[in-house]
Amino acid sequence: MSESGTDFLFGTSTGNGRVMVVDDEPDIRKVVRMTLQKAGYDVLEAEDGEKAIEVINTGENRLMLDVIICDIRMPKINGVEAIEYLRKEYPNVQLIVLTGFPDMDMASSFLRQGVVDYLVKPVAGEKLRDSVAKAMNQREIHRL
Amino acid sequence: MPNVEPTRVAILGGGKGGTLLLDLLSQVPGVELIGVADTNPAAPGIRRALDLNLRVTDNVVDLIAEQGLNLIVDVTGDPAMPALINQHKPPGAEILGGAGAKLVWNMVQHESTLQGQLFQAEKLAGIGSFAAGIAHDINNPLYLVLGFAEAIIEEHDPTTIRDLAQEIIQAVRRISTISREFTQYARQSISSEYVDVELNVKLEEAFKIAQYATVLQDLSVVKDYTGKQLIKAKPDELLHALVNLITNAIQAMDGKGTLTLATCDEDEVATVTISDTGCGIPDGRLEQIFEPFFTTKAPGKGTGLGLYNVKSIVGKNHGKISVTSEVGKGTMFRLQFPLEGQPS
Ligand SMILES: Nc1ncnc2c1ncn2[C@@H]1O[C@H](COP(=O)(O)OP(=O)(O)OP(=O)(O)O)[C@@H](O)[C@H]1O
Ligand SMILES: [Mg+2]
Repeated sequence: MSESGTDFLFGTSTGNGRVMVVDDEPDIRKVVRMTLQKAGYDVLEAEDGEKAIEVINTGENRLMLDVIICDIRMPKINGVEAIEYLRKEYPNVQLIVLTGFPDMDMASSFLRQGVVDYLVKPVAGEKLRDSVAKAMNQREIHRL
Repeated sequence: MPNVEPTRVAILGGGKGGTLLLDLLSQVPGVELIGVADTNPAAPGIRRALDLNLRVTDNVVDLIAEQGLNLIVDVTGDPAMPALINQHKPPGAEILGGAGAKLVWNMVQHESTLQGQLFQAEKLAGIGSFAAGIAHDINNPLYLVLGFAEAIIEEHDPTTIRDLAQEIIQAVRRISTISREFTQYARQSISSEYVDVELNVKLEEAFKIAQYATVLQDLSVVKDYTGKQLIKAKPDELLHALVNLITNAIQAMDGKGTLTLATCDEDEVATVTISDTGCGIPDGRLEQIFEPFFTTKAPGKGTGLGLYNVKSIVGKNHGKISVTSEVGKGTMFRLQFPLEGQPS
């Protein structure tokens, strides 16, 4: 398997983009990491909304993060609150919701807020990578 | 209620009918149960009477000779019984037997069936509100199964493959635990027996189930289980009542706040308290919440039968329920069950 031991903050950048996965379950983060590293993305992790906001507010991450993949049901700051904050403070960072909670109302409200995708677990690796690629494209558009 | 002399009742026959009558009459104000007689010392009515600290005997004559008896209920079905009663009963005592007793018996049984159906209906409606939480907790491990299986397909190292397979097995175990817990909870309870129940264990079980009531979960949970005594209760009913109270607490906090679960034993009383830091209940509403169909939840979100059923379950188990609340601060529900006559 790929170099999961590398320091994610300053790890070898493969150039395809930086993604942070926010989920309270370590194994879920591991699956997302494996899935995305295969496509050449750098993956950072955070275990809840509070940590995610902390990570994005530290140093270079602020500029370097392209996409955040975020769960909804999490301790401390939950996904709804985290996404609201991130949309406001970091409008250029693209958001993908990855949750076990299939809810049409919540999905459409997130999409209205500009979230790229609302994915319901279990989601195939291919689909997650497609979604991240789409988010990276939108990120490019925002950069222009 | 005016202070009138209670009606003193003796029950002859400890079969199903006698037991139901016993349970019903022991909750009725103005009725004083004197005892139960049955020739079979293992009859359910005899065991139930012992739980309730009532007099039991295998000698009918002994029981009905009791002075001051007002009513003798004969549900033995024994054709020789009426003559025997007439011979030994105190002068003022009336007899309810034969067709009259059968009518009462039927009514009590009908009532008990209806109540069972009501519990079940409300329980199933409640499970609907857990659906989103359950879906969430099943979809997470399902994602692990899918993700790790996809990784295995592309993996060549046998050790890594074995580790991934191990992860899949664990995820599947998680899923099966959830489905087992819920099918157990949802199934129609068949046991109508009162048995020794450890409150702490039931409270813990109820908490596991009630957690699914919220999706945006952000709860601190404080557990203070100092009670150790067993109480006599029907385990499924007690679980149902506790699930309702914890669900209400979690819903009142909108998934955010502190839930405190505590048990203690004191002066022959086992106490359970369930406290939340939720929206609270205004004073004028504290009685209303126990009424059937009273709900402040959106249409389709609550039946309003939760607390009504909690109250009748607690009553059937000879316990008491009370509530204290402050709007904006939180609410505490307290259940108290008698410990007397319990084997310690
Ligand atoms: N812990 C609590 N904090 C604040 N209000 C409560 C609490 N528990 C109950 N209530 C109030 O009492 C009402 C009745 O509760 P009850 O459990 O009987 O029905 P419900 O919760 O509305 O519906 P259901 O139980 O079917 O979901 C609730 O709608 C709510 O207004
Ligand atoms: Mg309720």
